[in-house]
Amino acid sequence: MMANLTFDQAKQLSDNFYLLGMAIGDFRYHNWDRLTHEENKELSVTQYSFLKYGEDILAFATTLVMDEVVDSLQKINTITKEINDTIRTLTNIQKGLNVAAAVLILGVAIMNRDTNGIGSSIKDIYETWKSPIA
Amino acid sequence: MKKHFVKNRSLIFVFLLFSSVGCINLKTVGEFAGTSTLGIKNFEQIEYSFYQHCLDRCRDEAIRKYEIKRGEECTCTLYQEADSVTQVIYNSMEGYFEGLGKLSQNELTDYSSDALVSALSAKELGPVRIEEQTAAAFSSLSSTLLRATTDFYRRKKLASYIEDANEPMQVLLAKFRLIIGTNLKGELRFKKERMYTYYMDMKMNNTLLSDYEKGKATSDYYNILDEIQRKELVLEVFAKSLDEIAGGHQMLYDNRNNLSVKTLKGILQGYSSNVKDLISEFNKLNN
Repeated sequence: MMANLTFDQAKQLSDNFYLLGMAIGDFRYHNWDRLTHEENKELSVTQYSFLKYGEDILAFATTLVMDEVVDSLQKINTITKEINDTIRTLTNIQKGLNVAAAVLILGVAIMNRDTNGIGSSIKDIYETWKSPIA
Repeated sequence: MKKHFVKNRSLIFVFLLFSSVGCINLKTVGEFAGTSTLGIKNFEQIEYSFYQHCLDRCRDEAIRKYEIKRGEECTCTLYQEADSVTQVIYNSMEGYFEGLGKLSQNELTDYSSDALVSALSAKELGPVRIEEQTAAAFSSLSSTLLRATTDFYRRKKLASYIEDANEPMQVLLAKFRLIIGTNLKGELRFKKERMYTYYMDMKMNNTLLSDYEKGKATSDYYNILDEIQRKELVLEVFAKSLDEIAGGHQMLYDNRNNLSVKTLKGILQGYSSNVKDLISEFNKLNN
């Protein structure tokens, strides 16, 4: 039965329990001398129970929100992932620039038939490519 | 010569197109996203939660019933679940605004072409000599063009993300506001009532005999009330900042295509400034 409650209904129930708890308290204080000790105690137990129900329902209403936001959460999480992918792409451009510079040196080494230069250029390209994105 | 002139004009045209067609002003979006992230992150500074409320209630009940046990017995599963839901929504929104902020920061596309300049002007280039000054000029031009194209790309992407995110974001912000401003704050209303009953019962039962005890109890009661009201205010201020963030995002969405940079800046500045004021109020209350 509770599972079918909506957030708004749960909130309304909580308000009702709060008002009932308050009303019982006011009743006890206005009729303090007319009530027996047992009657007063019994009313006090009921009053605290009402307050507890009202508090519990507020927490319960919060868990109900999950059912209402599942789709929205999924959409935002997908968009956030796309945003982070775009950021990664843009950061990769810097890496591309650095690699382009290293390739340029390699090209010159090849043109000059410089064996040592080719070896060290390849090593440079490899290291630039492997280096983490700043 | 004419061919060269036409080529230059085409380049300028492409450059202007990239610079001006963008629908969203990056700096303005960046500032708004930054302020929104700060505002939302204040959630972590709130020293109250559903679980904490449950623990407080157990303690209050133990005091009222004068129960002394070897350990406190408190079942708070429902309250822990409520906190989990709140946390999940918070994480999702915070991640989105942080991403939006990062994507609109200029530092992201502040590319350095120092490596290329060094390569171009290196001695190893052999017979071909490119002067350092020429290499630097080439680098500056390529950076500007690269900047213009990537900024255009970012603007387009941002406009599309804001368009897709607005509807779910409005739902999440509204629900989050309800959880904090209505439910969590609502729990405190019950705490106030419990405290009122506890002290009223004490008074009606004539439990306290000396004037000092009565004065102390009255002072304790009002101190507790002050503390609860401060917490209520913290939650209310935080909830208001969520309203402003939602309003700002809606404005960003409504004007994502048709506002000039200046107008957009003016409108969003109002929301950002309200969020900043609320952040400052929140910090004062929370310290």
